[in-house]
Amino acid sequence: MKILIAAGTLAAVAAIATPASAANICFAFQDLETEFWVAGHQAITATLEEKGHTVIERNANEDANRQLEQVRDCIAQGVDGIIIIPQDGESAVTIVKEAQENDVPIAVFNRPPSDLSRGIVVVADNASIASQAVDFLAEKALENAGDAPLQPLILVGDLGDPNAVGRKEGFYTAIEKHGDKFAAPIEVATEWDAATALANLEAAVTANPDIDLVFTSSDFLFPTIRSVFEPRGMWKKAGEDGHVVMGGLDGDATACQLIKDTYVDATGVQDLYFEADQALNAILKAIEDGEYAPNEVIADPGFALTSANIGEREKDMWGCVLLADGFLDK
Amino acid sequence: MARPGSVTRLGRRLGDLFLSDYFVLYLTLAYVLVLVPFLPTLSNPANVSNILSNMWPLLVVAVGQTFVLTIAGIDLSQGAVIGLASVVGGALLAVGGSGAVLENAPLWGTILTEEGGPLAGVPLGLALGIGAMLLTGALIGAANGISIAYLNMPPFMVTLVGLIGIGAFAIWLTQSENIRPLPESFIELGKGDIVSVYLGAQDEPRIPRRQIFSFITYPAVIAIAIAIAAHILLSRTVFGRYVYAIGANRRAAEISGVPVKRIVVAVFVISAVCAAAGSILYSARLEAGRPTLGDGAFLLDVIGAVVIGGTSLFGGKGKVLWTVFGVLFFVVLSNTLNLMNLSSFHIDMVKGAVILAAALLDVLRTRLMRERAA
Repeated sequence: MKILIAAGTLAAVAAIATPASAANICFAFQDLETEFWVAGHQAITATLEEKGHTVIERNANEDANRQLEQVRDCIAQGVDGIIIIPQDGESAVTIVKEAQENDVPIAVFNRPPSDLSRGIVVVADNASIASQAVDFLAEKALENAGDAPLQPLILVGDLGDPNAVGRKEGFYTAIEKHGDKFAAPIEVATEWDAATALANLEAAVTANPDIDLVFTSSDFLFPTIRSVFEPRGMWKKAGEDGHVVMGGLDGDATACQLIKDTYVDATGVQDLYFEADQALNAILKAIEDGEYAPNEVIADPGFALTSANIGEREKDMWGCVLLADGFLDK
Repeated sequence: MARPGSVTRLGRRLGDLFLSDYFVLYLTLAYVLVLVPFLPTLSNPANVSNILSNMWPLLVVAVGQTFVLTIAGIDLSQGAVIGLASVVGGALLAVGGSGAVLENAPLWGTILTEEGGPLAGVPLGLALGIGAMLLTGALIGAANGISIAYLNMPPFMVTLVGLIGIGAFAIWLTQSENIRPLPESFIELGKGDIVSVYLGAQDEPRIPRRQIFSFITYPAVIAIAIAIAAHILLSRTVFGRYVYAIGANRRAAEISGVPVKRIVVAVFVISAVCAAAGSILYSARLEAGRPTLGDGAFLLDVIGAVVIGGTSLFGGKGKVLWTVFGVLFFVVLSNTLNLMNLSSFHIDMVKGAVILAAALLDVLRTRLMRERAA
C-alpha cells in the first residue's frame, strides 16, 4: 500500500479521541428482536447516558454489511469507542479488526467473535450455564423415571452464533453424565427464528410424542414450545400428569413467570447487568488510558435459576427484575 | 417585474437542467452543500472515503439492474445470486473450516473440510474461484433469461421465484452458516488499498491508521472498470441499441429484425453476472462466504439507486452514467441519514419515500420530453 502525504490540516484531525470524561460511544446492535437484547440495549444506553457520555446508536436490522458500514460511519464521526452486538461471530471478527485498525477501542457484547483474540469480549460462559440448568432438569426428570431411557430434546440455536454452540455443548455435557439413562437427544434446529422453530418442533414431536425433557437454547422460544405442546396435552405444570421437564437459557421475564407458574423447571441465567457493567467499564478504561486495541475476554459465569432456588435468587435474574417492573403487562 | 421572455428562458433552462444527464449529480451536490453546515462530518475525508467504499459494490450490482430495467424488465433474483455466489466462492476458496459450525451443512465433508476448499493453495485458485462465482451468476441469469424470452414468463415472477428458491438453496448449502477463513488475496479485492492518502503534517513517526484514508482501492478499480465496460456496451454498440429498442417497444423491435430473445437472455446474464461480481466485493469486505448476503432490504437499495439515477421503470431509457450518479446519491443519502442518528426504521422509510419521488420524477421527465418533442 502506498501512502501519499499531503500538506494541510483538515477536520479529520479534530476527530481524534476526546477525553473519556465525556466520551462519544457508538453502540451498534444487530437488532432488538428478543427481550434479552432489549434489556441489554436499555442497560447499556441508560448507564452511559447517566454517566454523561454521548451514545450514538446504530441498528443494523440483521444485516452484517449494513453493520460494517455503520461502524465505519461511527469511526468517521470520530467516536472514542464502540460497543457492538454483532450479527454473528464471523462479522464480529471483521468489524473488530476494522475498528482496531482505525485505532478505535471496541467491546463486543454477549455475542462473541469466532476469534476471541481481538477486542474486549464480554461473553457468558454458555456451556457452563447450560450445563448448570440441564443438570437440574436431568435430576428432576430422573426422579420419576422407570427402566426405559428418557428421551431428551434440545432446541438448537443458530450454530453460526458461538452462544448457540456453547449452549449445545453444555446440554450434552449434562446429559452424558447420566450414561444410558437418557436416549440420544433429538435436535431441533431453530436458527434463532420462532417460525423455523415452530415448524421443526412440530415435526419432531409428531415423530416422537414421548418427550421427557426439553431444553431450549433460548428462553424466547418458550411461547413457541407452548403453542406446539398445549394442543398435544404436553403443556402441564410440575406435579400434573404429563408434565414435561423443561428448561432454557437467558433468564428472561417469560421464563421467570413460567418458573413461578411451574410450567418450566429451570433456566440458565446470563448476568446481563454484570455483562453490561463489564463492557462499559472496559471500554471507558481503554479510552481513558488511550489504548486503541484492548484485547480481553471477560466471562460471565452465570447461574441456574430453578424451581428450587427461585425464592433466594429471583432478584439476581434480569428477567425477574423486568417481570417485577411489569414488563409482561406493557 | 420580470419580462415574459426571460421567464420563458428561465423555465426552459430549468427544464434543460431537469432533463440533463447530470441532474442527479447536481442534486447530490446541492444536497451535500445544504447539509454540510449542519453535518460537518459529511465532508470529513474519512467519511468521504466511507461513502466511496460503500458505493463500489452497490454500483456493480446496480449496473446489471440498469440493463434489465432498460428492456422494461426487473431482476429480483440479484440478491439471491449474491448469496449463492458468496457460498460458492467461500466453499471453493476457504483456507480452513470449522466442523463444529458446518457439520450439518451438505457442503461439509464433500467440498469443504477442515483444510478448506478444493482451491485453497492451488495455483490460479483465486482466479478459478472468482470464475466459479461469475459462472454461477451467468447460469442463473441464463435460466432467468430463457424462461422470460422463450417461455414468455413475466420477469417479475421468474426472478421472484429465483429470489426465494436460490436464496433458500444458498442457505441450505451451509445451513445458514458462514464460511471462513478466506484467503487474504481474496479479501484484498473487497477492502485492499492501492493508494491511500494522509492529509496533514507528519508530526509523529507513526501516522495513526484512522488518519490515513483509502483513495484508490481494488473495489473502486473493479467497479469503475465494470461501469466503463457496461457504458460502452450500452451506448456504443449495436447490442446497446437493441437493448433500447426492446425497452421502447418490444414488438416493433421484433418486426425490425432485432434478435429480441437472444438479447433478453444476454441482458439477464449480464444482470446476474454483475450481481455475482458484487458478491465478490461484498464477500471479500465481510471476509466470509455468507448465504444471507443480498437478503432483506438490499434490493431496495439496488433498484432504488437505478431509478433515482433516472433509468425508467417503463423501459427504453437508461444510462450507466445515470446509475453511477443514482448510486452516489443513494449512498450519500444513507450516510447522511446515519449521521443524523436516525433509527434504521426511519432510514428505510426515508429511502422508500425518495425512491417514490424518483419514480414520480421519471414520469414528469417523460412528460416534459414528450411536450418538447411535440
